[in-house]
Amino acid sequence: MTNVSRRVLIAMAVLAAALVSPSALAQAPKGKLVLYTSQPERDATQTTTAFKQAYPGVEVEVFRSGTTEVMGKLAAEFAGGQPKPDVLLIADAASMETLKKDGRLLPYPEAKVTGLEPGTFDADKTYFGSKLITTGIAVNTAAKGRPASWADLAKPENKGQIAMPSPLYSGAAAIMLGTMTTRSDLGWSFFEKLKAADAVAVRGNGAVLTAVASGEKPYGVLVDFMAFNAKAKGSPIDFIFPAEGVPAVTEPVAMLKTTQNPAAARAFIDFILSDEGQKLALSMGYIPARSSVGSPSWLPPGTKIKLMPTDIAMVVQTNSANLKRFAELFGN
Amino acid sequence: MADTAGWRERVEDTALLWGLVGVVAILSLLPLARLLLEGIAPNGQYSTAALSRILSSSTTWTATQHSLVTAFGGTLLAVLIGTVVAVLVSLTDIRGRNAFVFCFVLPLMIAPQVVALAWLQLFGPSSALLNMIGLAPPMGSRNPLYSAEGIIVLLGVQYAPLVFLTLRAGLRTLPQELIEAGLAAGARPFTILHTIVLPLMTPPLVAGIALAFVSCLGNFGIPAFLGIPGNYLVLPTLIYQRLAGLGPGVLSEVAVLSVLIGMIAVLGLFVQDLMLRRRDFRVTTTSNPMRPFELYRWRLPVEIGLWTLTIGVLVLPFFALVLTSLVPAIGVPLTSTTATLANYDYVLFDHAAAKRAFVNSFGLSAAAAFIIVFIAVPLAYFLVWRRSRLLRMLNLVAEMPYALPGVVLAIAAILVFLKPLPLLGISLYNTIWIILFCYLARFLVLGLRPVISGYYQLDRTLEEAAQIAGARLVRRLRTIILPLVAPVATAGALLIFLTAFNELTVSALLWSSGAETLGVVVFSFQQGGDSTYASALAVLTVAVTITLMLSTLLTTGKLAQGVLPWRG
Repeated sequence: MTNVSRRVLIAMAVLAAALVSPSALAQAPKGKLVLYTSQPERDATQTTTAFKQAYPGVEVEVFRSGTTEVMGKLAAEFAGGQPKPDVLLIADAASMETLKKDGRLLPYPEAKVTGLEPGTFDADKTYFGSKLITTGIAVNTAAKGRPASWADLAKPENKGQIAMPSPLYSGAAAIMLGTMTTRSDLGWSFFEKLKAADAVAVRGNGAVLTAVASGEKPYGVLVDFMAFNAKAKGSPIDFIFPAEGVPAVTEPVAMLKTTQNPAAARAFIDFILSDEGQKLALSMGYIPARSSVGSPSWLPPGTKIKLMPTDIAMVVQTNSANLKRFAELFGN
Repeated sequence: MADTAGWRERVEDTALLWGLVGVVAILSLLPLARLLLEGIAPNGQYSTAALSRILSSSTTWTATQHSLVTAFGGTLLAVLIGTVVAVLVSLTDIRGRNAFVFCFVLPLMIAPQVVALAWLQLFGPSSALLNMIGLAPPMGSRNPLYSAEGIIVLLGVQYAPLVFLTLRAGLRTLPQELIEAGLAAGARPFTILHTIVLPLMTPPLVAGIALAFVSCLGNFGIPAFLGIPGNYLVLPTLIYQRLAGLGPGVLSEVAVLSVLIGMIAVLGLFVQDLMLRRRDFRVTTTSNPMRPFELYRWRLPVEIGLWTLTIGVLVLPFFALVLTSLVPAIGVPLTSTTATLANYDYVLFDHAAAKRAFVNSFGLSAAAAFIIVFIAVPLAYFLVWRRSRLLRMLNLVAEMPYALPGVVLAIAAILVFLKPLPLLGISLYNTIWIILFCYLARFLVLGLRPVISGYYQLDRTLEEAAQIAGARLVRRLRTIILPLVAPVATAGALLIFLTAFNELTVSALLWSSGAETLGVVVFSFQQGGDSTYASALAVLTVAVTITLMLSTLLTTGKLAQGVLPWRG
C-alpha cells in the first residue's frame, strides 16, 4: 500500500519536474544565490541539490546554523550595512514577521500560492510557509499513560514527568506559547498547570527528544518530525496529536530587499512552493504546505490534523509580554 | 660604536613594543569597541534606550548575581581540585604519574555540554549505573543537578585541569634547595607545603585562578544544560535569550550585557594584580629534580582517590559518549544485537564535511596555539619586567573576548570584517581567516596568563648578563627567555589547542562551506536530532587527540625535561 503510493508520488514528481523545467529554462535565472537557513543539515543539502538540478544556471551558497545563530548573524550584517543573503529559509514565521516590520523583505506578489494551506503565507506576499511542523505530545513507550489531549498531559498525575522546549530560547516554542495562551480551552491556565506539574523547560526540541527517548522524562512537548524520525530509527518513542489540535510553525521562505539576484531569489521561492519542492519536503518527513502532494508516510492514512490557527502579527506583538509572564511563572 | 648599539637596541625595543600594542589592540580592543558602539549608538545614532532598558530590568541583576555565585563557586572548586591534584602529582611518590596527568588533561577537550549530559544521565532515572545497584531515582524525580550547586560542581570539574596545568608547570621550577633546607630544619611536609611551596607558587596559582574564573563566568554549555531547566539564569544564557527573543535593538542589548560580563572579568583581574603586588617570587632553578615526598601507607589511598576522581572527570563522560555512539538511535538499549558501528561508518566515509572539519579544526587550533605563544612570550616580557603602562591597560581588555559567550565575539567580528579591509581591499568575511582571527582574540588569555606567571618566577640575572654581553632584545628572547619559559608556554599552548579543538559557539556564526569546524558539524548533528552521529564524531576526536599527545612522547626527545606536562 505505502509502496504503491510512493511509486505514484515518484512518478508524479518526475512529471512535475518535466512540466516545471521548460518554463524555468525560459526565464533562466543565473548567477550566485546566497541562502541562509536553519534547516537540519541533511535537509539543507537535499534542498539546494534539487534546486540546482531544476535551475542549473544558479550557483547556491549556503549558511546553515541554529535559528538564533542565523538571526544573530543577520542582525550583525544589518547593523554593518551589508546583508549578504538573497533568500532566507528559517524555522518560524515570527522571525519573518519581525523582518517584514523592519522593512527588510521584498514582496513577491506573483508567487503561486493557490493550493497552499490557508494561513501558511503572509497576506502581503513577503514570506511563504514551506511546510507544517506541528508540535504535539511525545511519549516514551515505557510510560504508564498516553495523554490524549493537552489537558490530559497537564494533569497532576504526570507531576515531574514532562519536558518542553523553552519559549525563551526557541522561536518555535514562543509561537506555541503565543498560540495556546489565546485559546479559551487552554490559555495561561494550561501553562500554570504545567508549572504545577513541575514540567521542565529545556533549551530546545533536541533536548526534549533526548529526555523522552532516554526515559529521563516520559512525556515531552515535541515537534512531529523529530519524534517520527527517531521512532523510524528504533527509539522507544511515540507521537500523539492531542484532541484540542496542534500549533504549527511553517519554515517560511522569503527574499531580502537587498538581494543582488532577484531573478534567482524568485526562482528559489518558486521551487520551494512548486509541487517538486513540496514533494521534497514530504520525502524528508514533513507535512507539506501544499496538501495536494500527499502526506508523510508516518501519518496514518486518513488522519486529519487539527491545526490551531495562529495570528502571527498578534504573536509578534504580544511576544515580549508573553515571554516575561512565562519567565515569571516558571522562575523560582 | 657603543652609542650605535644602544640606539639600535632602543629602536628594536620600541618597534617590538608598538608591534605588540598594535596586535593586542586589533585582537582584543577593536571587536569590543565596535560592539560597544552598537550598544550606545545603534545604526550610528546615539541612544541610551538599550542601556536603560537592560540596567533597569530586574532580570539583568538576578542573572548578574547568579553569574557571580556560579563563577566564584566553580572557581573555588576548580582551584581546590586542581591544586590538590597538582601538588600530589608533582611532589609525592605516587605511581603512574604520567598516565594520570594525561587523563586529567583530556577532559578539557570534551565539550561542556557532553559532560553535563553524561552527569545528568548518571544521576537520572535512566542511569545504567544506579539501576544496576538499585538506587536509581523513580521516573520523574527532579534531577539534583538542575540547580546552582549542580552548575558549580560541573564548572569546577570542567575547569580543574586549567588550574592543574598552570600549577604543574610552575611546580617544576620549585628549587630543591629550599625544600631540603626546610626538611633539614625539621619542618614537617605540611609546614613546607604552606610556608615554602604554596607562597612560591603564588604566580601560577593566581594565573590558574584567573583562568578558571573567566572560564566559569563565560561558560554557556553547562548553565544552558542545567540552568535553563532549573530556571537558574546567568549572564551568558540571558544573552542567548535576548538573541532568540526577536525584537528591535537586540544587538544593543547584547552589547550592554556583554559589557557587564566584561566588567566582572576585569574585576577579577584587579584582584589578581593585588595578590601579586610588591612581592617577590623569583626562584633559581637547579637542574636536579626534587626528591618526591614519600607517602608511605597513605600512598595507596591517595592513588585510589586520584583515580576515582579521574573516573568522574574523564571516564564517565567519555563512556557515555561511547555508549551513545554505538546504538542505532537514542533510547535503544545497548545489547550485543543492537550495537552497531554504522554511526562511525557514516561519519568517517559518508559525510564529506566531517573529514574537512577535522582538518580545519586541527589546523585552526594548532595555528592559534603557535601564534599565541609567539605573541605571549614578548608580550609578557613587557608586561612583567618592563611594566609598560600602555600594555598593562590593554592587558585588561585581553581577558574579555574569552569571558564573553562565543556568539557575541562572532557578532563583533562580523561587524568589523563585514566590509573589505580598508586599504587592502581584501575581505576576510566568509573565509576561514575570520575564524582564526576570533580564535586568536578569544584564546590569547589562555596562553598569556601561564606565561606571565612564568616571568614572575624567573630570575632576571641571566637576561641581564646576556644584555651586558651585547645580545639585543629579540635575540635574548629567543635564546635566553624562551627556553626558560618553555614549560609554561607549552602548558598555555596545550590549553589553547585542546579548548579550540572542540570550539563551537564562535564558528557557529562564522563558518562558510569548506570552512566547517568540528564543533559546527557536531552541533548540526545534534540539532537535527542525530546525537548518535554527534557522539561518534566526538569519540573519534578524543581518540585522535590521545594519539597525537602520545606521539609527542616519541617525537620530542630533544625538548628539555619539564616542557611537556605528562613527561618526567
